[in-house]
Amino acid sequence: MAEPLIRLQQVTKSFGPVDVLKGVDFEAYAGKVTALVGDNGAGKSTLIKGLSGVQPYDGGVVSFEGREVHLTNPRQASSLGIEVVYQDLALCENLDIVQNMFLGREELKQGTLDEAAMEFSAIKALQSLSVRTVKSVRQKVSSLSGGQRQTVAIGRTVLRNAKLVILDEPTAALGVAQTEQVLNLVRRLADNGLGVIIISHNLADVFQVCDYISVLYLGNMVARLETVKTTRDEVVAYITGTKVLEGVNE
Amino acid sequence: MVDGKQSISFRERIQGFTRNQTALLVLVLLILIVVFTSLSGGTFLSTSVGSTILTDWGAYILLAVAETLVVISGGIDLSVGATLSLSTVTAGWVLVNGLHLTSKTTGVDAWPALALAALVAVLTGLLVGAVNSVLINILKIVPFIATLATFGAAAGMAIIISGGMPLQGPTDFSLINPLRIPGLDPKVFDTGLFSPLVILMALVTLVVGLFLHKARFGLYTYAIGSNVFAARAAGISIARHTTKIYLVGGALSGLAGFYAYVRLGGGSPTSGTGMELYAIAATVIGGASLMGGIGRMWGTVIGTLILITVQSGLLMIGVATDWKQIVVAVLIAGAVAVQTLQKKNGVR
Repeated sequence: MAEPLIRLQQVTKSFGPVDVLKGVDFEAYAGKVTALVGDNGAGKSTLIKGLSGVQPYDGGVVSFEGREVHLTNPRQASSLGIEVVYQDLALCENLDIVQNMFLGREELKQGTLDEAAMEFSAIKALQSLSVRTVKSVRQKVSSLSGGQRQTVAIGRTVLRNAKLVILDEPTAALGVAQTEQVLNLVRRLADNGLGVIIISHNLADVFQVCDYISVLYLGNMVARLETVKTTRDEVVAYITGTKVLEGVNE
Repeated sequence: MVDGKQSISFRERIQGFTRNQTALLVLVLLILIVVFTSLSGGTFLSTSVGSTILTDWGAYILLAVAETLVVISGGIDLSVGATLSLSTVTAGWVLVNGLHLTSKTTGVDAWPALALAALVAVLTGLLVGAVNSVLINILKIVPFIATLATFGAAAGMAIIISGGMPLQGPTDFSLINPLRIPGLDPKVFDTGLFSPLVILMALVTLVVGLFLHKARFGLYTYAIGSNVFAARAAGISIARHTTKIYLVGGALSGLAGFYAYVRLGGGSPTSGTGMELYAIAATVIGGASLMGGIGRMWGTVIGTLILITVQSGLLMIGVATDWKQIVVAVLIAGAVAVQTLQKKNGVR
């Protein structure tokens, strides 16, 4: 198999006396969608916060594109090409789509914001994802539906030339049609050659869109499965801890 | 369909107008002028009244501009009026007690002293802004309480430094009097609306407005006021940007102190008393939301004009000045009520 885009080896993280990550191995590949599943408190969020640089790991080795890296802050993770789409989406309601997509890395022309160039790039990024649901990129985000907001948040990662996109519960608050849209979007990200990691509680979504499924159980990676070779029952068994150890970890 | 071009239907145009705060505000201002003109028997429209209104506008606008920046960023600054008092007094103190200048120095002779006064006033304002940002960003005190503290401290220091009395010093009243272009007969071409200092204040407002609406500074201000977590996630340093905002606000309040100094020919410790209320009122009437993320510089400019027009108008039609505060209060309540209704109806 090809070199993983990102590889975690024996990463650990504790909060005081509580070991949240107890030496976790994890990998994700370019062009593939990897699901990260596990029950509440399994350590999914902590694992992701380490990847995004928000909350650095205590120990272990992180390799990105084959090179060892130390992820210590969000800006640095972002400059490597790691982007996170948070569950609450982190969009500014009173700003329009273009402003949101470029926030933090605006394009300037003679000191002022280059609105035309940014609008053009934003439209191009959304088109690359075949987004058809947004009427105008100058709409304020407050006027968008949940699915459209998700689209903007994902489109932003494309604009930032992300190599690895991490999505935290991307379909949690969405209806059926919008979920379908977002899952298609996720698939297209991977088809465009990006590595995608999805955190989800919804196994239907996971089985529909993911290539691999990694299961965390109480701070240990208990399974790494190929979606086509596993069943929903098996995944549930790993999540709930009724089935343990397949030699992946521990 | 993702499309850069936006086709606008007639209905959207009408909705656009009612949503356009600035257009509505101009309409309100025009109505007020018509009402006061007819009630005062026509004198309200004279240039002398116009220049008085603009002179007052010059006193209030910079505080309102400062307040607008802070309010859009999701904060509030109660210290702008006291900062004006403190900086006008420190400017007076340096000229009168430091350099022993008196009010006998007038006209062009006073300009070097006035330049120094402007510098001192702006530096004083920056200092208050710095204290505000330390309280807010380092000690993590909410803006309301932090600026309430600096409000009290600055107002107290203004009285202590001045000894409670205005410090009369050199000034040049021609800077505050209506500009007349030499060689033009004022009866034919009356240019007597704008004083040099009012023009300066308008220019400063314009520059800050451009920074707010065309530059990164403004975008970050809106972003922080809109969703501070999203702004942080986008890599914006919240502490650094809010520090900038309170520093700019302090400097503007200091410059307003300089204006007050020139206008009175000295530094009075009560120059800015109560003016924070007007600054907040103008900002809110101008369409800014105290929840942050919403507001326009044009709105504030016209909001300030509306406030001053109402004040002068009431005075001209013989309403006692004591009523003016009540009218301001009603205007604030009215503006916020309109905002709330619009929000409820999905207008943003």
